[in-house]
Amino acid sequence: MSELVGYILSGLVTGAVFAVMASGLTLSYAATGVFNFAHGAIGFLAALLYFELNVGLGLPAWAAGVVAVALFAPLLGYLLHRVMFRGLAQAGETAQIVGTIGLTIALPALGLLVVDLVAEPLGLPRADATSLPRGLGPYPAATYAFGAVRLDSDQLITFAFAVLAAVGLWAFMRHTPYGLRMRASVDSRGLATLRGIDVDASSAMAWTLSSTLAGLAGVLAVSTLGLDSTAFTVMLFVSATAAVFGRLRSIPWTFAAGLGLGVVQNLVAGYADFAEDVTGLRTAVPVILLFVGLILLNRSRGRIAGSAAEDAPPPDHLADLPPWRRRLPWVLGLVALLAWTLTRPADDFSVSVVAQGLVLALIFCSFVVVTGIGGMVNLAQASFASMAALTCGWAFSSGLPLPVAILLGVLGATAVGVLVALPALRLGGRVLTLATLALALLADQVLFQIDEFSNGTIGWPLPALGLGFADTTDPRVRVLLLLALIGLVGLLVRNLERSASGRAVLAVRSAPAAATTSGISAPRTKIMLFALASGIAGLGGVLFAISKGSVTATDLPAFSGFVWLAVVVLQGVRRIGGAVLGGLIAAIFPELLAGWHVSAHVGAILFGAGGMILARHPDGVLAQLGEARHRRRTRGDRAAALRRETPAREGAVPAVQVTNGTGHRPVTAPPRAPAVEDALFRLEGVVAGYGDVTVLRGVDLAVRPGEVVALLGANGAGKSTTCAVAAGDLRVTAGRVVLDGADVTSWPAHRRAREGVLLAPEGRGVFPGLTVDENLRTWLADPGPVYERLPQLARRRGLAAGALSGGEQQLLTLAPALVRPPRVLIADEPSLGLAPLVVEQVFEVFAELRERGVALLLVEEKATSVLELADTVAFMRLGRVTWTGPRAEVDGARLTAAYLGVS
Amino acid sequence: MRRQAVRLIGLVAAAALAAGGCAAEQKAAGGGGSEGAAGVTATTVKVGGVLTKTSASGYSTKDAEIGARARFQRANEAGGVHGRTIEFIGAEDDNQDAAKGDAAAKKLVQKDRVFALVPVHAPNFGGATFLEQQGVPWFGWATGPQWCGTKTGFGYNGCLAPQPGAGSQTWWGNQMAELIGGSAGKSVYVQTSDSSGSKYGGKTISQSFEAAGFKLVGLNSGLPAAAPPPDWLPYVNKIMTSDGGGPPDLVVSIIAGTKFNVGLYGALKKAGYQGLISDATSYDAAILADPAIAQALEGVIAAPMFEPFESQAPEIAQLKADVAKTAPGTQLTQHLAIGYWAADIFLKILEQTGKELTRERFLAAANGSFDYENPGFGRIRYPKDHTEPNGCGALVKLEGGAFKVAKNMKCFDNVPLK
Repeated sequence: MSELVGYILSGLVTGAVFAVMASGLTLSYAATGVFNFAHGAIGFLAALLYFELNVGLGLPAWAAGVVAVALFAPLLGYLLHRVMFRGLAQAGETAQIVGTIGLTIALPALGLLVVDLVAEPLGLPRADATSLPRGLGPYPAATYAFGAVRLDSDQLITFAFAVLAAVGLWAFMRHTPYGLRMRASVDSRGLATLRGIDVDASSAMAWTLSSTLAGLAGVLAVSTLGLDSTAFTVMLFVSATAAVFGRLRSIPWTFAAGLGLGVVQNLVAGYADFAEDVTGLRTAVPVILLFVGLILLNRSRGRIAGSAAEDAPPPDHLADLPPWRRRLPWVLGLVALLAWTLTRPADDFSVSVVAQGLVLALIFCSFVVVTGIGGMVNLAQASFASMAALTCGWAFSSGLPLPVAILLGVLGATAVGVLVALPALRLGGRVLTLATLALALLADQVLFQIDEFSNGTIGWPLPALGLGFADTTDPRVRVLLLLALIGLVGLLVRNLERSASGRAVLAVRSAPAAATTSGISAPRTKIMLFALASGIAGLGGVLFAISKGSVTATDLPAFSGFVWLAVVVLQGVRRIGGAVLGGLIAAIFPELLAGWHVSAHVGAILFGAGGMILARHPDGVLAQLGEARHRRRTRGDRAAALRRETPAREGAVPAVQVTNGTGHRPVTAPPRAPAVEDALFRLEGVVAGYGDVTVLRGVDLAVRPGEVVALLGANGAGKSTTCAVAAGDLRVTAGRVVLDGADVTSWPAHRRAREGVLLAPEGRGVFPGLTVDENLRTWLADPGPVYERLPQLARRRGLAAGALSGGEQQLLTLAPALVRPPRVLIADEPSLGLAPLVVEQVFEVFAELRERGVALLLVEEKATSVLELADTVAFMRLGRVTWTGPRAEVDGARLTAAYLGVS
Repeated sequence: MRRQAVRLIGLVAAAALAAGGCAAEQKAAGGGGSEGAAGVTATTVKVGGVLTKTSASGYSTKDAEIGARARFQRANEAGGVHGRTIEFIGAEDDNQDAAKGDAAAKKLVQKDRVFALVPVHAPNFGGATFLEQQGVPWFGWATGPQWCGTKTGFGYNGCLAPQPGAGSQTWWGNQMAELIGGSAGKSVYVQTSDSSGSKYGGKTISQSFEAAGFKLVGLNSGLPAAAPPPDWLPYVNKIMTSDGGGPPDLVVSIIAGTKFNVGLYGALKKAGYQGLISDATSYDAAILADPAIAQALEGVIAAPMFEPFESQAPEIAQLKADVAKTAPGTQLTQHLAIGYWAADIFLKILEQTGKELTRERFLAAANGSFDYENPGFGRIRYPKDHTEPNGCGALVKLEGGAFKVAKNMKCFDNVPLK
């Protein structure tokens, strides 16, 4: 019994490190939506710095700790936010995952390279397996007995810091305005901006804090883990388990789960002797828990079924070229490659490197299917390849003919792919990615450790593949064979994209719910994609083994799957060309580096830099090249194109611009409204839209202090877009926004909000996850007066705003304005979906605000109630204000004209 | 929809089959032989190695390059072997990645055109199959099964991963028994980590101690393989109660990594363990640099598979002189010794092959009852030691912050692996 208590107590203490690390992970994910795979790498860097300062330069441990945790880690977090995470937050999910995986590889390499470079001149110890970092406490650590449990000073310090970090984090998030702003940004990013919160600044804060926590965890853990970046990555996976049990949202739960993991690991180590026969099972306990946690707790809410609709495909810049011109570079490349290959001798090293690159390219083609077409990120692709190769080796060694063995291998991988797809049916997005990560690790740690399957560390030998006239010991034959296979896969992919199933895939990807109602089975489509992709990866894995002549369980480790994904995505994951380019680069680049005697760290760093590029150009190198080609071609005739473009007539369908907006200027000349001299807030000839679609085609509006302007128009007239432009949520392509004589067109939304332009957005402008009190505090320092005015809110002050009724939510949206009136209030459909009594109450608020000199712009689709209040009325149709005039001049005829388009 | 899926899968399968054709024996492509022996001229023999110089875990065997270079330099200064000097082009880095090791071996053979690979010292070396196909000799430390049973892979102290039924070492147990004055009634606990490689090590080493008469009271493979456990308590508890409720007389650790061992020994001492501790990796002068580590490892009996540097043997004095000449001020490490002795054995075979040098003749000389004794590593016999270890080892004890030779290099008979 006392043994059990000992395990639990001691486990809680060691779980503290996981808890600190996982809290940081949850914090940054919740605050920015980026799941940071590099969180462990940040911890490693902080630990490395701590070690060099402490052991290398002889600084006392506490001072080195302060520098590493309180100075270096926050700075690193801020820097990464600036150069990478900020861009990634807007990029698609694939880019986010790949970008941070790139960092996982680059950051430790960067640290180790710097240490390598400065170690000699400064006499610093090198950071390798022999380096033994010390803990923060006395060295050697002092031991204290607590009953049956003996803990040393380092363990106690770790626990103390973890508790301190937890309490500090809680207090910061709950009781400071910064924490409130951060939580508001998490709850509703768009709304936070409208409340004057600089979302970018709170992301920066979140990254800084999260990085500090990673640094703290790193420094606390380094005395037990050693300076081993892999160990830190393993720790990240364990922490990810804790974060998943905190549902990637709740920091307290994450913290508790971290502590719990420490206990579980101790109990497994202490009592699970029955698992001894299955090698790796006990090591894999956190991974198994990760998988279970994902399945049970983390159904993706926002985006169901692995779809990634906002990963919109990049514009096809070469769409207007004839097919032969599109393919010309590839054909030329292929011909050059073939000509070169066939003129080399049979044992040429360079040809075998190219052949190796093509093997990788074949495996990479599977990413095109599952990620490029299916929009799902799968980190287990290396495991599929490994699985197929081992199955093939096992089958061949048990006496089956090679073709049958190959077929078995491919089918085996396909079957596993289907098994992996099953959880994918429930999971989506990052959760799916994490689940495939867990499966990949599980395969590495348990499945491939089974000696009967992988033949221990020796693996299976495989013969060459005979083709009648030649066999695959000749690398030239391998090149030809692989090119043929890749061509075949390319055809398959093209057919897939053009066939009914391809359309089904796209449908499921962009709108799963709509696809289901159209009779497309999302699960079946996804299973098919996974099966196909794993079959391709399996075929690649088998060929990898055949060209190597043998296969072992460690040939294709799970981690190489991450690297592969990154390489492919960097080139462009939507096309086979990206896979081919990626494979060749992955094989040739390291050879070149080695040939130039460049440190292997440099390669890793360049690779991580690729992740940063990805943050800016999420569609990869090929899309970039296509765009460049397009730009060169169109530069000459752009002027002509602009001349041709005539002002769109009223009633014409909005022209879809082919360009993606760069340098594009519409030439429509909006009719000027009569200038309003004393207007506080004006839109002047505003042109704006979304992507290539222009919605506002020259809007002029003016609002005076103490005036209510009602903006009316049919559905789709551009009213909400006008609101967005006014609040600064949407950029204008032409025209000006003027506040009190100052041009505020370039101001971001939060700055306009701070200067007194408040938008109550369509629907309810509340943060559903924050309490009523916290909602009010986002705009008011002291919400007291609101409660005096609106006692019904006072009664609900501790409740989450999402739990209020629609009317209460609308009041909550407008209430802060009563206490601290803005200069301009823009309300988008304030009466939508409210009971008539509540509408009355809301309009009373507007009337009061008018009395107090606020300039009000009320946008409504239904005219009746707002017309009673309005001083001026503006009608909108098809992106223009068609009529503006005093309320008195509005009659039935005008209304009909405005809504029905008859004049 | 389903038919589509089936058809697509069928297509992939068909592609695989079409590619399938039939199995052909993996054989040497083209010919090194056609243009005379690869890597050999009238005056030179070209060699290069594959090492794990850098790795994610920080493990590095890069010192083996210095060891080999030092040995080759002495040979060259003595006029080479049969008039040929050794052109040592250094070692490739495999980053502890099997695929990179394979690529490195191919590069050395196909691009750099070396005659043989010396030294090969990489725990995950992936080039074995290729080298065996091509008939290229490779010399180094045969810690993995890819070395064993080959005709071309020469472990300087034999194959350390024998198959069941083949000979397995007993020297560690026997040397230890001699050191502590007999094994009668002494209990031993073997700790490994949770991976098949480490478990295999645990099996051979516990057998070594049993063969020497020790009582095995525990063989635990519960340690996580990837990173040291954050909490040693459960593992130490098991050890401290393994011998009828009490601690064993001897704990043997088969875990790679100083970090693991320091953690385990520290935790053992914290729990009041008074017995002996032995491992294979702690003989490393680098750890003496940190007084606290040295203190944590104080009393540990390390088991190097070469004559310790503290030995008085003339061969060791020669080694030190060679290294001092090639790379003055180099700290002597296990990896350095391995590189040195691998090069030494390569030179010996080169000498026995004679003036006319091809890979075929070299392999014939090496695998035709080659027998070479040297106090530096004991003795080596090929082809026997392609399948089993040479059975020799020494013991070194860390005492008062310095390593002392506890038992000089000695060879014992192997026993069949169960």
